[in-house]
Amino acid sequence: MRTYAQAFVFFAAAGLAPLVVDDAFLLDTLVLILVWGCAAGAWNIAGGYAGQISLGHSAFFGLGAYAAALCGVRWNISPWYGVAIGAAVATAAGTVIGFLANRLRGPYFVIATIAVSQVLLLGAARWRGFTAGSEGIPVPFRAGFWTLGIADKRIWVWIVLVLALVVYLLQLYLERSRRGFQLAAVREDEDAALSLGVRARRLKVAAIAASAAFTAVCGALWAQYVGFVDPLYVFSVDLSVRFALAAIIGGLGTALGPFLGSVLVTTVETWLRAEFGGLGSHLVGLYLILYGTALILMVRYAPQGLMGFFRKS
Amino acid sequence: MRVVNFAHGEFLMLGMYAAFWAFTLLHADPYLTLVVAVPLFLAVGWGSYALIMRPIVHTSHNVQVFTTVGLSIVLQNLALVLWTGDARFVRTSYYASVINLGGAVMNLAQAVAFVLAVAATAALFAFMRFSYTGKLMRATAQDRSAAMLMGIDTGRIYALTWSVGIACVGAAGVLLAPVYPVYPTAGLQFVLIAYIAVVLGGLGDMAGALIAALIIAAVEVIGSYTIGTSWKEMLYLLLFIAILVVRPAGFFGQRGSETLGV
Repeated sequence: MRTYAQAFVFFAAAGLAPLVVDDAFLLDTLVLILVWGCAAGAWNIAGGYAGQISLGHSAFFGLGAYAAALCGVRWNISPWYGVAIGAAVATAAGTVIGFLANRLRGPYFVIATIAVSQVLLLGAARWRGFTAGSEGIPVPFRAGFWTLGIADKRIWVWIVLVLALVVYLLQLYLERSRRGFQLAAVREDEDAALSLGVRARRLKVAAIAASAAFTAVCGALWAQYVGFVDPLYVFSVDLSVRFALAAIIGGLGTALGPFLGSVLVTTVETWLRAEFGGLGSHLVGLYLILYGTALILMVRYAPQGLMGFFRKS
Repeated sequence: MRVVNFAHGEFLMLGMYAAFWAFTLLHADPYLTLVVAVPLFLAVGWGSYALIMRPIVHTSHNVQVFTTVGLSIVLQNLALVLWTGDARFVRTSYYASVINLGGAVMNLAQAVAFVLAVAATAALFAFMRFSYTGKLMRATAQDRSAAMLMGIDTGRIYALTWSVGIACVGAAGVLLAPVYPVYPTAGLQFVLIAYIAVVLGGLGDMAGALIAALIIAAVEVIGSYTIGTSWKEMLYLLLFIAILVVRPAGFFGQRGSETLGV
């Protein structure tokens, strides 16, 4: 019951904040917390619940971002179609990676996911005629809800909050349902799960595909919100690590964990960028040093993450 | 050791920076730096093992992956903060010299790097194959508990194996510095090739890795010639993924070894 209460407080606070907060900077931080929280939650479906650790999830994020941007630039249709197209393409890509997950385990799978995201990075950066190459694409701003050209950051908070709730409920489903238990069995001991008649391969592929689809939706909304898609960022390994890091800090395989992790990661990053970003761009590396150190320390000393502290107390 | 080090490329990058700084500040020739770099990186390897790897070396693969990925991020960005993201060059006096071998013209530094790399690989191969310590290392990798029961100090062997690996990659970085620009993420492109070579050749198979490296080089050159240089990385990444799908144990490795969790 207490986990529901925590989640209720978190989402209610996020939903009501735009009514009282008027500061654009704070609202911007809130939107980013929710977007990165959703992405970390989507990563958690594959990495936390199914135990398929991927460091190539930026591939799906980038597919979503490009789908939304290209809808506006190339085909002149609503970015909502881009959300759908991105999710569909990412589901297909996720199925392919799910197939890889059935062939590979451990570090091999991780390297394979990195390779896939790098292939997409190179493809997007080199295919100038279609993706505009490594210069990136500015996403056109056309005012209106249907074209996702929304200047009011409060509306954005509510849009991404809906996505956050969907991702949270999907994770909750994996925590409570029969299918979720089967997935946990596959994660803990695949051979034992198989011998009990669990369809391990199919479940893994489904988890990775769902994870990919939601990551792509995050990418599409993020592209519309930020207004610029840079292939070297949206397909980077750093971004994949960021999804994983938020989930690990919050607590792997917990529904609320990725969002709590995102609160910490995003605020620290925003603060450090604001503090040191102006002093010469190479100092932006500071927050990544902090990321890396946090990652090393968390997996060693607190593998349960923030949710682990909550449970103990 | 059965630990995949995702920070391998960053140690290579540190090797390149070591050559760069020795050259810029002390005017030391990179090949002179090499003599100092090997013991230095042996020490760096030992230190990083004691500090970061020792507590997690027997935990799950996921913990190992995240720890070495974290280490990679820290080292990359330490280099970025300390030395900025500018590409730097080691411009030796013989930078533009070439040698002509029966019609094949090669850059001198590249040729020297090739010869030294082959020599180092041969030495490492001989060390692993014939020396007593090498035997202990292989025994520990094959079955840790059995090795322990035979009285092998597996903790020390792990530390030593890790340090030798770091020393090798640091030396490789020093050798690459006269040929390639030095920048904080320079390690990535090389380490990607290294992973591909290792997987292609079969994990823990040094001769296999050497042959695989030659195959990758051939693919790279032929691909650059026929399709264009800008797509060559794409080509070997796709080759890599294809190999993982078709035969994850590599050309010469034992089929099915990847499902051991490696």
